[in-house]
Amino acid sequence: MSEGFEPRIVGFFCKWCTYAGADLAGTSRLQYPPNVLPIRVMCSSRVDPVFLLTAYLRGADAVLIGGCHPGDCHYIEGNYYTRRRVALLKNIFETLKLDTERLRLSWISASEGPRFAKVITEYTENTKKIGPNPAKNKIFI
Amino acid sequence: MSDKIGVYVCECGPNIGEAIDIDKVIEAISPIEDVAVVRRHKLLCSGDGQNFLVDEIKNEGLTHVVLGACSPKDHEITFMNVATRAGINPYLIQVVNIREQCAWIFKDKDIATKKAIKYIRAGIERIKYHKPLQKKELDANPDVLVLGGGLAGIEAALALTQTDRKVYLVEKSADLGGSVMKFEKLLSHQGFNLGLIKEKVDKINSNENIEVLTSTNVESVIGFFGNFEVTTKPAGEEAGGKSFIVGAVVVASGYNWFDLESTPRYGYKKIEDVFTINDFGRMIEESEKLKLSTGKEPKSIALVHCGGRKELGYCSRVCCMQMMNIGNYIKDKYPGIEVHELHSDLCVSSKNDQKYYEKSKEKGINFIRMKGVEVGGKAGAISIEYTTLAGDKGKLAVDMAVVAPGMIPEAGTPQVADMLNVPLHPTGFFKEGHEKLNPVGTTMDGIYVVGCAQGPKSFMETLIQAQAATGKIFSHLIPGKKIEPEVKVSEIIEAFCTGCQTCLDVCFYGAITYDEDKGVSVVNEAICRGCGNCAGSCPSDAIRPKHFTTTQLYQEVVEALRE
Ligand SMILES: Cc1cc2nc3c(=O)[nH]c(=O)nc-3n(C[C@H](O)[C@H](O)[C@H](O)COP(=O)(O)OP(=O)(O)OC[C@H]3O[C@@H](n4cnc5c(N)ncnc54)[C@H](O)[C@@H]3O)c2cc1C
Ligand code: SF4
Ligand code: SF4
Ligand code: SF4
Ligand code: FES
Repeated sequence: MSEGFEPRIVGFFCKWCTYAGADLAGTSRLQYPPNVLPIRVMCSSRVDPVFLLTAYLRGADAVLIGGCHPGDCHYIEGNYYTRRRVALLKNIFETLKLDTERLRLSWISASEGPRFAKVITEYTENTKKIGPNPAKNKIFI
Repeated sequence: MSDKIGVYVCECGPNIGEAIDIDKVIEAISPIEDVAVVRRHKLLCSGDGQNFLVDEIKNEGLTHVVLGACSPKDHEITFMNVATRAGINPYLIQVVNIREQCAWIFKDKDIATKKAIKYIRAGIERIKYHKPLQKKELDANPDVLVLGGGLAGIEAALALTQTDRKVYLVEKSADLGGSVMKFEKLLSHQGFNLGLIKEKVDKINSNENIEVLTSTNVESVIGFFGNFEVTTKPAGEEAGGKSFIVGAVVVASGYNWFDLESTPRYGYKKIEDVFTINDFGRMIEESEKLKLSTGKEPKSIALVHCGGRKELGYCSRVCCMQMMNIGNYIKDKYPGIEVHELHSDLCVSSKNDQKYYEKSKEKGINFIRMKGVEVGGKAGAISIEYTTLAGDKGKLAVDMAVVAPGMIPEAGTPQVADMLNVPLHPTGFFKEGHEKLNPVGTTMDGIYVVGCAQGPKSFMETLIQAQAATGKIFSHLIPGKKIEPEVKVSEIIEAFCTGCQTCLDVCFYGAITYDEDKGVSVVNEAICRGCGNCAGSCPSDAIRPKHFTTTQLYQEVVEALRE
């Protein structure tokens, strides 16, 4: 592991739940590591697995999708699709011998500011532990 | 014309101003291609701030504006209005959240500043790919179709009446009133006077804004919120149908009873003197006398709750009350008859209902809590065998049994759901739009489900839902007003679409159809909510959520990964 390694994590957060949860973490002045760049989408189901793969192959040290808890998606069952797609992508990661630890899906509601901060903190720490994405320096695309 | 992007960083008083080194941000952002101006302001959302932005956009001839400020949740709409005032398309602005998700969480000013630069950069790269989106306005017909004339439908039809709005109340049977109307004696015994419903029916019949179509079926409903084409047909006839347009549909098609005959353990139809609630209600409607098949009066009656609950997998909520009402009825008219109530849970959940339980106890009704029951024996010697919660076996000999069948979806529910393009719940009732957010709506804008069509429900809950749906219609479908469908919808690029139809399955709103002739799928923009699930599913990248395109999101990813 390289010294002072600061992972770059791409986060896709649905507007209704996780993004709002992140806002609440801010309003509550919680502190968490600055390693995630949040990208707002209407629903987690918008996130085509190709985005995640692209982010990874482009050198993201980790990717995170945040959506509403099961049953709470504002588009009814979008997050169930997200869950299936992420599971599928994890399988692909395994087949390609890529690190599934760099891919995470979390349900964080609009009222779970502390949970948002906790998820980001843990994920960042874990990513620091496993080190930089080895795909970063290889040319994939 | 090349892009002229204006970037404005808001101080938000000390909120951002003290946490982020804005001058450094300006310095880092200014050299980015196409960025024409980068400026700071104390309070962008204030009247002053908004006027400042309007002037800036006009004077600098800006084509796009990126705002480093608070969460889009707070002021995106404010700034979209500013854009409109200044003459640029409101979708050519981008609010970058450097407050909630930056200034307020990173104590270290250096880190916060670096992050703010990164976020704003991502916003700038994204906005270069924004396209102006046009708000659409559609004419909306304010009329409403109410499907089903039971308690729920009657309430909705009456509550909806208003000048400038016509209500079509379609009932498949010959009369309005629904399931309760045959049970005058039983219901009046618990203080529910059917005269009140008859009064409402009279009001409906004399209201010139309501057209009542009894003995009529709805044949088809095609369209979307504000514009559904409806055709009806008189029951059992070929001619005489009608067609009309409505803006919204209230489904109030009610329920049926679980078929006790399908479950041998209730002895129903096999043993004489075993009845359902309905049978009992009809019996007392015909004559006050309680009669056994032998012509004699019963000496003991068992009231068995929860008929079919195991098979159905849910509680029907009102049967406990119905049974207690029957128990009270018997005790009041024939105090000598012994009454046993065999119940599993006792669902007396309304503040008005507890008193019936107390009364039942006072009158000497024997409550037995059981987890399993079997009705056996024969007429004259009916034997009720039950298992208590503790697992003990018990036995009762009675000469009459009344079983409460659970509520099940009305038989025609799947056809109605199919016709309206709305999904059913696993129980077979209509599925509400969202359990927590939209309990009387459905996945289709403008289609509401009320009363027992949505699930087992009490009188009061039925009325509450009918009134709630009315409220929604009053606020969303206003006579003379146009409706504005979602602007940030998805579109399918014909040239890329292979016609695989994966997207049809994932769209919960039925917004996508397949064009057989062209062999491609098409989004109906009047129905689409813009969730993007279809885009997440398309194997050919043929779907473009208009404000969340792959390119736009990809720009953000690239910025996230910039060293
Ligand atoms: C005997 C009895 C006792 C009860 N006791 C209690 C009690 O103690 N407490 C309590 O809270 N509740 C009680 N209820 C429950 C109460 O009946 C319901 O909550 C209420 O009636 C539901 O009204 P609804 O309009 O949803 O359904 P319904 O009354 O079933 O009305 C539905 C109507 O829609 C019509 N319809 C169906 N499909 C179509 C179609 N495709 N096209 C056109 N028309 C259609 C039907 O013909 C019917 O007229 C009792 C009910 C009965 C029958
Ligand atoms: S626009 Fe947002 S960031 Fe700026 S002053 Fe208003 S609330 Fe604060
Ligand atoms: S999923 Fe994509 S390719 Fe398949 S039908 Fe839909 S738009 Fe066309
Ligand atoms: S964006 Fe959502 S609502 Fe619109 S067509 Fe796609 S899946 Fe359906
Ligand atoms: S809206 Fe949050 S996951 Fe669908």
